[in-house]
Amino acid sequence: MNRRLRAIVVVCLLTGFMGPGTVFCTSQNGAQSTSPPATQTPAREAWQREFDRICSRTQEAMSFSEEDLASLVQRCDALAPQIEKLDETRRKVYLGRLHMCRGLYAYVLESKRNPKK
Amino acid sequence: MNRKRFVTLALILLFSIPSLTQTGTKKKRPLPYEYGRVVLNNNSTKYEMAPVVFEHWIHRGKFTCRVCHVDVGFGMKAGNTGIRAADIERGYYCGACHNGRTLNDGKPIFAACSTRKLTYEDQKRCDRCHSVGKRVPSDFDFATFTAPLPKERYGNGVDWEKSEELGLIKPQTALAGFTPKNPLVVQKDFDLNAKVEGMPDIIFSHRKHTVWNGCELCHPEIFMGVKKGNSHYTMVDISEGRSCGACHVTVAFPLMDCQRCHAKPVQP
Repeated sequence: MNRRLRAIVVVCLLTGFMGPGTVFCTSQNGAQSTSPPATQTPAREAWQREFDRICSRTQEAMSFSEEDLASLVQRCDALAPQIEKLDETRRKVYLGRLHMCRGLYAYVLESKRNPKK
Repeated sequence: MNRKRFVTLALILLFSIPSLTQTGTKKKRPLPYEYGRVVLNNNSTKYEMAPVVFEHWIHRGKFTCRVCHVDVGFGMKAGNTGIRAADIERGYYCGACHNGRTLNDGKPIFAACSTRKLTYEDQKRCDRCHSVGKRVPSDFDFATFTAPLPKERYGNGVDWEKSEELGLIKPQTALAGFTPKNPLVVQKDFDLNAKVEGMPDIIFSHRKHTVWNGCELCHPEIFMGVKKGNSHYTMVDISEGRSCGACHVTVAFPLMDCQRCHAKPVQP
């Protein structure tokens, strides 16, 4: 095997080992973590993207209008049947999280509609 | 002689009546390294394994409560989550970190749970968590871990709040793949009135609780009322694990440390 071909093979092998199979994230205190199974697929599934969009805003719930909160609650209700169809593990995890996130939005909406309570 | 015996017996019975009339079980106060320990046994003994021992003290230094109890999805009470080995092996719950790949201080965290046929090495790894009744060496020693941290009187004997302020622990507020990108909006602190006259009012740090717990961990499951003063709960409720007691009986600083909450000076 000539030198050029050998070099190409070595480069290909190295690329294969260091290639896109692993993603490293650095967290606040310097610990490194690999992506968990939920994000190892290159693109998150549609229901996961919707889940992230809905439940990423819980910390801002108090600043939303009643219409925004009502819309978020409706989106949670619309997402629940999609999560119900998943395998047992993901169904358990994501239904629980959706329940918390929906509960918070409904709670804040109720407080805005009934300010005396 | 008979009279003396009679009097002695009567005195013994008289002094033993109070202890005979006591009912219930006195709870043993957990030792500092035991405080926050949770034993999980949804399925362990069913599959002839020892129940799992989970120590909060090592984990709370690494993550805020929100990461585990909201983003990863652990319940607030033992047994509520319904964790199975298959869930962990798929990278959920404990498997979010205990997957053999996630690094802590440069070292991979051991992988928990395997549903395949176990080798001897696998069994030893299982024992690291399924450890009730077993002597299992741990990577972390409580005394060594907590030695540099500021002390307090109760619970773990560690002032976790001050430890964080001093930068001795840096709990992560997010876990890649589990925490949606969520802007941190903290709420304002407020006072709660103590019902007992002469007892200092409580200064409740909503700000700190928002950073550690997020909003959805407490609202509405633990605290239903929105307006201050609309949620009514007593120390009895709290000591039974409701309201503040959801955390401040088992994991966060315990109720015995009255001054941590009842901190507002009493006005004459």
